Amino acid sequence: MSIGIEYYVLLSMGLFCIGLFGVLTRRNALMFLMSVELMLNAANINLIAFAFYHGNLTGQVFALFTMALAAAEVAVGLGIILVLYRNFRDVDVTVPTTMRW
Amino acid sequence: MEGAFSYAPAIAAFPLVAFVVALTFGKWLPKKGAIPGIAATAGSLLFSLWMLAAVASGEVYHETLYEWTAGAAASEVGTEGIDFTFGILIDPLAALMLVIVSLVAFLVHVFSLGYMNAEGETGLPRYYAGLGLFTFSMLAFVYADNLLMAFIFFELVGLCSYLLIGFWFRTRSAPSAAKKAFLVTRFGDYFFLIGVVAIAATFGTVAFAGDDSFVAAAETAINDGDTLFGFDAQTWVTITGLLVLGGVLGKSAQFPFHTWLPDAMEGPTTVSALIHAATMVAAGVYLVARMFGYYALSPTTLAIIAFVGGFTALFAATMGVVKDDIKQVLAYSTISQYGYMMLGLGVGGYVAGVFHLMNHAFFKALLFLGAGAVIILMHHEQDMWKMGGLKDKAPVTYYTFLAGALALAGIIPFSGFWSKDEILYDAMIVGLEEPVILAAYAMGLAAVFFTGFYTFRMVFLTFHGEPRSEAAEDPHSIGWAVKAPLITLGVLALVAGVANLAPVAKIVGADITFLEHWLDGEYGAVEGLTYSAYGELVAYETGVIGSEQLTVLIAAGLSLLLAFSGAGLAWKLYNVPEPVPYKDRLGTVGDAAEANYYQDEYQVWLANGLTRPVARAADRFDQTVIDGTVNGVSTASLFGSSWMKRLQTGIVTNYAALLVAGFIGLLLVLGLYGGWFL
Repeated sequence: MSIGIEYYVLLSMGLFCIGLFGVLTRRNALMFLMSVELMLNAANINLIAFAFYHGNLTGQVFALFTMALAAAEVAVGLGIILVLYRNFRDVDVTVPTTMRW
Repeated sequence: MEGAFSYAPAIAAFPLVAFVVALTFGKWLPKKGAIPGIAATAGSLLFSLWMLAAVASGEVYHETLYEWTAGAAASEVGTEGIDFTFGILIDPLAALMLVIVSLVAFLVHVFSLGYMNAEGETGLPRYYAGLGLFTFSMLAFVYADNLLMAFIFFELVGLCSYLLIGFWFRTRSAPSAAKKAFLVTRFGDYFFLIGVVAIAATFGTVAFAGDDSFVAAAETAINDGDTLFGFDAQTWVTITGLLVLGGVLGKSAQFPFHTWLPDAMEGPTTVSALIHAATMVAAGVYLVARMFGYYALSPTTLAIIAFVGGFTALFAATMGVVKDDIKQVLAYSTISQYGYMMLGLGVGGYVAGVFHLMNHAFFKALLFLGAGAVIILMHHEQDMWKMGGLKDKAPVTYYTFLAGALALAGIIPFSGFWSKDEILYDAMIVGLEEPVILAAYAMGLAAVFFTGFYTFRMVFLTFHGEPRSEAAEDPHSIGWAVKAPLITLGVLALVAGVANLAPVAKIVGADITFLEHWLDGEYGAVEGLTYSAYGELVAYETGVIGSEQLTVLIAAGLSLLLAFSGAGLAWKLYNVPEPVPYKDRLGTVGDAAEANYYQDEYQVWLANGLTRPVARAADRFDQTVIDGTVNGVSTASLFGSSWMKRLQTGIVTNYAALLVAGFIGLLLVLGLYGGWFL
């Protein structure tokens, strides 16, 4: 027996909302990074679920690309967080507010 | 004579080289650039004479040398494409003019040695560079084979006159006179430019000669009864002809664009000689002669040329009567004499007009150089009332100046008589049938009297009587560089009339009208550019009084009588030991003539009272409406963005929240329009 597509979509939506909630409420940059990971993986679940549903491999290939992208994003993100820490002795995203008009 | 014409470009190139040399190395050269200038103009003169000989042996030259751009647009008469080229056209007219220009330029260069170098002027390299460029422009203009090339060099001539009139730029008056000359002639040239564009757009060609010339195209269009730009061909030819005439009137100082020329006396006298005799002012009349075939197609234009010419001849002559500055008298005589040439050309007397152009070049260069010699003698005094008695102290200057004066006044047998008489004769025989021309003729005839009067007033005041100042009692000496050009031109002023003794030819029936044969292409000619070809185009009827011989005698007798009575009046009034001014007795007429009939005043008023308010209104429109719109847009966006920028807080969380809010908003809108919530 197979699980209906709607359950995958619900799971993915839940995961995405948790990530979004994290981005909007947390102030710690590390938490930001994790939340973004959650949202990306929510998208991955969707991609794979629909690839399975349609019976072709396109979605899976896309998911692989997304994972590679996520890895790169983490590398850059951690770099930014390191610099942030060096400059402000803190990883609170509300502290550096000078990058504006 | 085979290869003569392949050297034609050198005629104009020599002075150009002299210009570059004088400009770059003049400071270190002995005589500050005069030597290259003299060598170059002598070279031009020799080559021009060679061209003259080549044309006399029956050859002409019409060659395109360089095509600088070509277009594909179809013209109004239907020809495809138009070429803009530089080319050389050497026909009898151009060859004659080349000799005149290079001869006068050469003599002016030589004279400058005595007038500028010997007087210790500063800035001489600039002066000789200017003369070189001036000569180059004029020579290139003379043998231009198309209207656009002619226009380009016409403008260059104007620029050079600006540079040279303003030579003494540290004085107040010279730069102002230079600007005036430039602006007034530019005003006329503006119409010329429109005329060039109109002719190019109409006929698809700007060539002067040949089957594909605009003259031939215009003739065809008139014969076919074409409609050009909504006018019939005849009217359109008149309109374009008048537009080109604007440039002619400006350059040749014809009414109402004559005001620049008297002021141009601020330049060195040698420059005045060059401007008045061979370059600048001659360019206008030469252009009419060059495209005479085009003007001949339009009787209206010809009548306007004749009338303006006759009017200017009289108008300027009356102003010359009351001037005290020797150069001012000559300036007004120039305007007046060019009026005669226009009159001659306007009545279809192509030969007469060109003949007078040639004679005038010689005697006016002579008179100006003579005036320059007088100014040297007088230690730079130009007021004739401070001269007097120079006759015995400077005989060479006196006799050459007298020769020029006799030619200017039109006294037989000096050159000016023959050409002026021919013009007046041509005007008279046409005037017997056409009332407008008769009026122009009457004015030209009246001007003869004034010419005789002011010319001899000038001679008597300058050379006769008792010296009226210390300078006149002890004149400065003059050298060979001054005397040699004077003598050369003095001889020419005496004998140049032999070129075309038309009255004698008509009376005794001898075949001695050499210039007429020359311009009629008896030796060599470009087809369509001959006197007889023009004669067929000009639509004037001519009449005679009694017989042709009698008419010739009447015309010559009348003009001689008037010239003698003018000269005689001057003799009576001014050839006394202590002459006194009679100007006050003229009353308001004299005041008006002294003030140049308030021509400057009304032109300044036009500029101040009409042009300036219009310009101010345009400026205000630009400042308020156009700038206001532009500024308003930028102010609105500045103000808007000063609020919008507050969205950018620098806090990442806010951006994320805005993104999400925007996304949700978008979903809601899509949902509402997509009907998901129904």
